[in-house]
Amino acid sequence: MSASMGHGVSRRRFLWGLGMSVTAVACTNGTTITTFGSTTTTSPTTTTPPPGTLGARNGRTLVIVELGGGNDGLNTVVPHADPAYRALRPDLGIDDPLDLDGEIGLHPSLARLAERYEKGQMAIVEGVGVPNPSLSHFESMDRWWTADGGAEGSGWLGRWLDGTVGFEDPTAAVSIGPGPSRALLGTGSYSVAIQGADGLTPDVPGWIDDADELMASWRGFVPALQGDVGPVAEVRTAIEATLEAKEDLGVLLGDETGRPGRPLPGFADQLEVAATLATSSAPPSILFVHGAGDFDTHQRQDTRHAELLGEVDGAIGDFLDTIEAAGRLDDVTLMTTSEFGRRAGENGDGTDHGTAAPNLLLGGGVAGGRHGQSPSLTALDSSGNLRHTVDFRSVYASVLSQWLEADDEEILGGSWEQLGLFA
Amino acid sequence: MQYSEQERIGHVVRRLSVGAHGSLLHAFSSTDDAIADALDLTGPAAPLPDFPIPDDADDARAREVLAEMIAGWVEAMRWPDQRLLERLTWFWHDHFAVSARKVPFHNLMWGHLLTLRSHATARFDDLLRAMATDPAMLLYLDGANNHIDAVNENYAREVMELHTLGTGNYTQADVAEAARALTGWVVAVPGRRSLPDRVEPWSSVFVHQRHDDGAKTFLGVEGRHTLDDVISILLDQPATPRFVAAKLHQHLVGLPPDATEVDRLAGALARDWQILDLVEAIVGGPAFVSDDAIRSKVRSPLERLVSIAQGFRPPDEALPSDTAIALARLGYIPLAPPNPAGHPEGAVLMGPYELTHALDLLAAIPDAPEVSVEEAFAGLGISDVTRATQLTVEAAAPADRVPLAASSPEFALT
Repeated sequence: MSASMGHGVSRRRFLWGLGMSVTAVACTNGTTITTFGSTTTTSPTTTTPPPGTLGARNGRTLVIVELGGGNDGLNTVVPHADPAYRALRPDLGIDDPLDLDGEIGLHPSLARLAERYEKGQMAIVEGVGVPNPSLSHFESMDRWWTADGGAEGSGWLGRWLDGTVGFEDPTAAVSIGPGPSRALLGTGSYSVAIQGADGLTPDVPGWIDDADELMASWRGFVPALQGDVGPVAEVRTAIEATLEAKEDLGVLLGDETGRPGRPLPGFADQLEVAATLATSSAPPSILFVHGAGDFDTHQRQDTRHAELLGEVDGAIGDFLDTIEAAGRLDDVTLMTTSEFGRRAGENGDGTDHGTAAPNLLLGGGVAGGRHGQSPSLTALDSSGNLRHTVDFRSVYASVLSQWLEADDEEILGGSWEQLGLFA
Repeated sequence: MQYSEQERIGHVVRRLSVGAHGSLLHAFSSTDDAIADALDLTGPAAPLPDFPIPDDADDARAREVLAEMIAGWVEAMRWPDQRLLERLTWFWHDHFAVSARKVPFHNLMWGHLLTLRSHATARFDDLLRAMATDPAMLLYLDGANNHIDAVNENYAREVMELHTLGTGNYTQADVAEAARALTGWVVAVPGRRSLPDRVEPWSSVFVHQRHDDGAKTFLGVEGRHTLDDVISILLDQPATPRFVAAKLHQHLVGLPPDATEVDRLAGALARDWQILDLVEAIVGGPAFVSDDAIRSKVRSPLERLVSIAQGFRPPDEALPSDTAIALARLGYIPLAPPNPAGHPEGAVLMGPYELTHALDLLAAIPDAPEVSVEEAFAGLGISDVTRATQLTVEAAAPADRVPLAASSPEFALT
């Protein structure tokens, strides 16, 4: 059984994942941006595509790492050669970036990522953003998860699941973090969410001694011979699928399972679990890691951002080392996302919610180097934000079609420019 | 499948309240008896907690309050009287969905719920009008962003697609014209807008300068339409009572009504717009207690939680806010549906993640229940038990009886 519910950190992180955070509201810190953003909350417009119509699992794995809270793109991929950078960031600017090409460099906490870049194993997509950004955590996360629409608010990867495996393959996609990610929510498919190495394990109240034993008893609900049809038969099938998914994950995660009483796994633990699954005998097609910390650096950005990126560098560095040692580097792509970047200009010792930021893609299959276009540091919008140069759906379209070999236009409900992100 | 009369009574209770109310089932001698009791709204309604009105926008943001509100609402669903009020409030919450994810002011979400509840068993036309200027709705579907210089069509579209007509009964031109007619409404969020004197904080306000006063043609009707006119025209459309009646039938029965039945139900609703007239027409129809209707729906995480609490939590011990967290972990959050179409339903509620973490909802029970196998099923309102389920629960340790009964295929359906 897993950690108790009353754990303070787990509750906070969990609520964060659902966007129910006190800081995660529109327009914090006294800015003058309109509270109720220009994005719209849309209702169902399309139907669920039948399984097998939008693609099939191709043996590759896509790992999404979500840097929740809004990661500061300008101090992650630093445009150090642009004099405007220093003007915007007199105090918080990075003095000693790890130079990549004389124009841009990585934050000094990202040494292992810089090594991967030098090897041609990291693609940087610059200037990625959403049109008409609202600067609200809620709305921005929703937009990244759903790619701005789709059936019944389903996630972009949920729609991939709907159109590929349907209800038949619940471990095709696994999210790792405090709860399920809406990015994986389909209308005709399951995905599995786990918190860490203990796999598919409920958070039961203290009076239940052994949740695994309890679930093992569910076998009794699924008799070998049964004449039922209709809803009851469907439930039995669902219970059977649950037990199989739990067992499969237990096997894939090995003896890591079932460490009782530990705190909720941190980001490094989550990526370690992702590495275990990605190098297992049956690697999932999608791994969604969404507990990477709070990048909402309104205050004390200097030290906090360095720590956060250091954690990212260590966890992703270890992940890639594990994948490489297992011979799967060419079969795995890891991509970072964040709901938005930070304001171009600093504000006290932190930065406010912003817009465009880079996505990083790592692995043996990526076309290493720079993609997209650096956003201008001088032609800012009326709120002092960067104007994005790449629509976020272009990144999704490229990953869906080039990496997962799926029908990106059906999944995204439109045609978006393909970036050559893969070698 | 032939069900016992006791299981049919349980079906009636489940569909006309939120939760199974296992302890009530023995009180009814027949399904007619159970239906009559459910439609009797003379008893006291469940009390709801009060939440203070915040002074300004920043005060309104405490997320802890949201968890308390959810737990407080779920607590009301355990209440034995006026069960239909809770069922219909939930239905309208799903129908007129707004979410705390986009409306960060907890008092507006709570006010929205109170407004829904005050109209839930009364008149649909009043409910629709109340929702059109409800502050949470104005924020959630961008009505507060809709003004003459920048028309926002979001509410105009959703009020037709989701609240009244259903798709196929209007054109994009109707959406655009309705949006113009709906311009001018804002929400008086303290500290966020400069407002005229004597405007009540947190209320919805019509600002004439933001309204498009010109001529419009909406659903074939010409005029200098306002919000009131849009609602009146929508209520005049035959599609509106048909759409709402069919949806409530699907919700309460678990099956779609055929065309003849839709005519009958729409007539019952449109006669005086009395919601209870529609409910009576539905439960008096041929499908409501049919074999096909019983256990035809996937029991939602909310219905699981409420049923467990009704059966095995002492009534005088209020639900802890941890139960709201358990619902949130399942992605099924009262006051925070995922999109304007409401909460998910059907097979997606039975995925491996959802079935596994349905066990988390046992947090509603403070201590291991010491009950017999029969009491475990009865507490959850399950009367007809398959042999496989009976044997599985009989084989379990006493403390596992309720958790296993709550994991059974019988309990997964409602």
